[in-house]
Amino acid sequence: MKRSFLFIVLQLCFGLIVSAQEKCVVDFGKVYPKDFDLSKEKVDTAANAVVIADIGRSSFDGNLKGAFSIIFKRQLRIKIQNKNGLDAASFEIPLYQSEGNKQEELGNFKASTYNLENGSVIETKLENSQVFEEKRSKNWVVKKIAMPAVKEGSIIDIVYTVYSDFLFNLHSWEFQGKYPKLWSEYEVNIPEYFTYITLAQGYTPYHIKEESRQLGSFNIMWQDVIGGYDRQSVTGTVNRTRWVMKNVPALKKEAFTTTLDNHVSKLEFQLSEISYPNSMPKSVMSTWNNVGEELRNSEYFGAQLHINNTWLGDEMKTIVAGSKNSLERMKRIYAFVRDNFTCTFHSGSYLTTNSLRTVFKNRSGNVADLNLLLTAMLSYEGFNAYPVLLSTRSHGYTNKIYPVMDKFNYVVTCVKTSSDQWFLDASNPLLGFGKLDEECYNGHARMLVRKNLLPIYFESDSVREEKFTTVFIEMDETGTLNGHVNFTPGYYESMTLRGVVKKKGKEEFEKRIRSNYDSDWHIDSIGIDLLDSLEAPLDLHYELALNNSADIVYINPLLTGGLKNNPFISTERYYPVEMPYAFDELHVFNMEVPRTYEINELPGSVKVTFNGGQGGFEYQITQDDNLIQMKARVYFKRTNFQPEEYQSLRDFFSHVVKKESEQIVLKKKKSL
Amino acid sequence: MKRTFQLLLCLCVSAICKAGNGDYSIAKITPALMKEANVIKRYEEIKFEVLNVNKARTYKKVAYTILNEKGDESAEIVEMYDKLSNQPSIEATLYDAMGVKVKSLKRSDIKDMSATDDNNLIDDNRLKAFNFYCKNYPYTVEYEVEQDQYYTMFFPGWIPVEKEMMSVQYSSFSVILPADLHFRYKASNGAGEPVKTTVDNKQVFTWKLQDFNAIKREPYAPYWLELVPCVYMAPSEFAIQGYQGNMNSWQDFGKFVYALKKDRDALPAEVKAKVHELTDNIADTHKKVALLYDFMQKNTRYISVQLGIGGWQPFDATYVATKRYGDCKALSNYMFSLLKEAGIPSCYALVKAKNNSFVADFPSSQFNHAILCVPLAKDTMWLECTSQTEAPGYMGDFTGGHYSLLINEAGGTLVKVPGYKMNDNLQVRKTFATVDATGNTEVHENGQYKAIQQEDLHNLINYNAKDKQLERLKSQFDLPQYDVVSFSYKEEKSRIPVINEDVQLNAIGYASVTGKRLFIMPNILSKSSSKPTAADARKYDLVLDLEYKDVDTVEIKIPDGYIPESVPQPQQIATKFGKYTSSVKIEGNKIYYYRSMERISGRFTAAAYNEFVQFYEQIYKADRSKVVMVKAN
Repeated sequence: MKRSFLFIVLQLCFGLIVSAQEKCVVDFGKVYPKDFDLSKEKVDTAANAVVIADIGRSSFDGNLKGAFSIIFKRQLRIKIQNKNGLDAASFEIPLYQSEGNKQEELGNFKASTYNLENGSVIETKLENSQVFEEKRSKNWVVKKIAMPAVKEGSIIDIVYTVYSDFLFNLHSWEFQGKYPKLWSEYEVNIPEYFTYITLAQGYTPYHIKEESRQLGSFNIMWQDVIGGYDRQSVTGTVNRTRWVMKNVPALKKEAFTTTLDNHVSKLEFQLSEISYPNSMPKSVMSTWNNVGEELRNSEYFGAQLHINNTWLGDEMKTIVAGSKNSLERMKRIYAFVRDNFTCTFHSGSYLTTNSLRTVFKNRSGNVADLNLLLTAMLSYEGFNAYPVLLSTRSHGYTNKIYPVMDKFNYVVTCVKTSSDQWFLDASNPLLGFGKLDEECYNGHARMLVRKNLLPIYFESDSVREEKFTTVFIEMDETGTLNGHVNFTPGYYESMTLRGVVKKKGKEEFEKRIRSNYDSDWHIDSIGIDLLDSLEAPLDLHYELALNNSADIVYINPLLTGGLKNNPFISTERYYPVEMPYAFDELHVFNMEVPRTYEINELPGSVKVTFNGGQGGFEYQITQDDNLIQMKARVYFKRTNFQPEEYQSLRDFFSHVVKKESEQIVLKKKKSL
Repeated sequence: MKRTFQLLLCLCVSAICKAGNGDYSIAKITPALMKEANVIKRYEEIKFEVLNVNKARTYKKVAYTILNEKGDESAEIVEMYDKLSNQPSIEATLYDAMGVKVKSLKRSDIKDMSATDDNNLIDDNRLKAFNFYCKNYPYTVEYEVEQDQYYTMFFPGWIPVEKEMMSVQYSSFSVILPADLHFRYKASNGAGEPVKTTVDNKQVFTWKLQDFNAIKREPYAPYWLELVPCVYMAPSEFAIQGYQGNMNSWQDFGKFVYALKKDRDALPAEVKAKVHELTDNIADTHKKVALLYDFMQKNTRYISVQLGIGGWQPFDATYVATKRYGDCKALSNYMFSLLKEAGIPSCYALVKAKNNSFVADFPSSQFNHAILCVPLAKDTMWLECTSQTEAPGYMGDFTGGHYSLLINEAGGTLVKVPGYKMNDNLQVRKTFATVDATGNTEVHENGQYKAIQQEDLHNLINYNAKDKQLERLKSQFDLPQYDVVSFSYKEEKSRIPVINEDVQLNAIGYASVTGKRLFIMPNILSKSSSKPTAADARKYDLVLDLEYKDVDTVEIKIPDGYIPESVPQPQQIATKFGKYTSSVKIEGNKIYYYRSMERISGRFTAAAYNEFVQFYEQIYKADRSKVVMVKAN
């Protein structure tokens, strides 16, 4: 395993140009008047702050605990361009702690603010008393720093080192951030004893990527029984890799984006193998199979699924009592967990926080707690139920090849019969049996079947949100309009509306419908059907009436249902458009015009397709004697689009908005 | 951008309980209490006992019956603590609908976490929280909490009706004091006078409330504390971290605040030199203040560190001068010191920022912010010292019109910061538009915004990069689709600050062209989006805070060859809430539109509410009325 992986890395490096040791010219701790002038740099002039240099270096050394530590050194120089950039003068450094004596420590911390005053550089050092510490959770301590003497034009230098006993925590590196960066560099020096998988993403090319090897010696010490230190020195090859990016722009979040984390330029590392001299290589996390086995046995995940949870017995009898068939039993169990438990932490972790028995007793837990309990309950009843690990869209993509487990943050349940399978999520009280939230459709996921983690895909293209509206309107001879609207929103829109009704009541919902119309429309008999059938979309209907005596009547056949604004606001797009689901919206309008009025003008019919039928817009209007019928349909079968397709996507919706604002014109006949 | 410092949270908590005999069966709730309620407070007993001037203890026992999901919020208990108070002890029991005990809380189930506010870099607030997460409605939770605090500067208030749609079956509140100490109270909205007794040589004051029906909040209603029975309480003599004070009058309270801040105005020599360099050759005091204010703005920023007494005592001026940061107290004191060095007397002042709910006739710690007041020969200038961008003397919506306590050696004086009136809060827009044959419309707008109407823009242009400003402009207008062609802003930093805007848009398909007709809304940029909902039986007064005036003139050029088919009628709507006027005139291929809107602030009777709704409905509709043009032949 190890060899084949190294091979991949070497291969990748071959084709790259290795420039001769180009170094960053920043001299940390020394600031000269010329450093304040960035006019020669290619900086986005609109930026509030500019990262002049951000340099990280990770290396390994022996520690006093008989093992290796990672030493992460960071040097950062930022210039505050204007008042909005003052936020860049406050920092947080998170440090991980675990039980036992393992921890991360901050050392060699030095920070200063430099101001150019009357041509000379004035330095103000940060005092150690100004570094505050907040214990944020059991495992995380955060050092908080507010730099002194910061104003527009200040330069800030910060240098620190983090010593970490956690080998799995090889620092990742974001080349791209909130502020543009002129020089962003990362170097890792990894002794031959450790193998890390490197995961890279982003759209900015490396300015430098170089590799080299050298020898390194490491002193490992540990305390003996009488309090002295024993020591062992080892010498081995150190693999050094250095990456540099120059002039990296800041990235901005636009609509229809899963998360910017999927798109920023960054490097991440995963420890895959440890092979100390004279001992067998130990694979730390090399295959999905290993992880599968670990998860199966983990007390925070699968272990509780494979024991006989007899404590469930009594409750289960009540829950499934009287079920007619196995499908109903499944549904009862699902509804029991969904309706009686509160999800306290929605998309934080794929690991449980408590034993299933405690979760059952407390009636609450995180998403893993609830859906593993659901899996255990289904298994207890003899169903084939499996936990599925995934990452929600806003949490970012998972890696298909490497089992990078902290990319996962969510668990759902799969239940199978010989002919069918359903995916269940009991953590959301508004979800129906067999439905998943749109956030779960994020591509690659893994299902734990016994000890195997099998790949499974939840593609947003496979979800289709279908919306259907029909309107019947009759106009009487005086010009008064009476009509009926029937509206079936898509599943996810229904879910949102159910949430509104649940939180704020039906009145709020009715208020929303009424507020879509001008006050001279009378909206009556609003009905919401299928509110409790969580598997199905809602069915809404209402009556409408408008007293009118005008000679000319203008009416939009989409009433209030048309697309009023183009959802693609920006003129340009720098990374892909990611819509949550495919959709198909159909509007049907029927109107009967009295003999006293003539149909003076109708909008024209059109048909537009997007990219050979991947999307489309059809607007068809016909007149049959005194009947007007209009059908408008907008659909998209695809959900992800490249930046190159953005303009045509935007134009398409522009066309829809324009067409859907057109009006029918009716005129009172002169005399009859 | 301005920020407040955090109020030390009043901690509620004392001892001895009669406890759990309570029968919480829902059968014992009257139908009147069920009406409109999501939660019923079944029982509440709070005892606030002052042990001595340095220490107090709160005991609280409370039970809520949760009727449905909307009431779940009340089922969770959250108790704060910090360096000046002990960790609260919490007991909890869950009962079912019949009042039968289901389970009790285990200590290990209580969450303990940091409660540091996002606004603060660091403070010492922590919280304990617990929840049964029951979903079998109705159910009842009962909590008992006890907590000691090592200060007596704050007394809890009694607000038995905590929120809307909560009814109260029984609530009592007692203050227990040693014989030699005093406290003060103000009972509002029918809370009544307390029953006074003496127990073990201690004074006991008790209030009770029984069978209070749930209230539903109404839009534009007065502050909550004006609607429900409540008792404000405050100490006479008090202490906090070794500082002693008295709150009998605003003057006394001011003396205490003065003691905390006095002698903290020493400046480093180089800052003193700078003050003289800036101001010695200037004659006009007003100008001196403006220069020093600008110096302070350029050389400091807002960073809030609230630890212990630091929540009340400003960091000294030297600290701010060297660190170049501070919170509202520290920055106001720093500005005070700069002015002092220049020989200009000023006055440190506390104020209630943001929310203007204030009880002026009840001296107590009701403030959440500090500012500076500079009395000048002709008038008085107020300075907001946490902003790096505000015009000198402009206080804005944040503190304008709010109560403020001036702090002098002689004590405190309660005054009002000047507020902003209709003619201050002005928005004037001139718009020129050209429609092409397909309906695309080029829009060129020149806007002028003043006082409170310029605040959003002020923050946008001062605290956001150009790309963020553009982003906001891209979604600001209610137009189907538009691109921003160009934009620029110019700020005039005067007492009534002004922002001049120049924006060019390309509104794609703004006019709808179908066959022989052209439809266009002449009000392109200033459509009102308010649509309050009518109420059948309004209970409370209608309160309008802000007054302002908007004026729009629009000139639209459309393609040749059209004649008007339908033109909106001119509107003149005058109500007690304000005036609205609009008119459309068509000359050849030009459409001229005029609109003005004046909104008055004030308090109106509940009966006037539907008239108010109607006023806004008429505006909403008038703002969206269309001109229809038809091809001439």
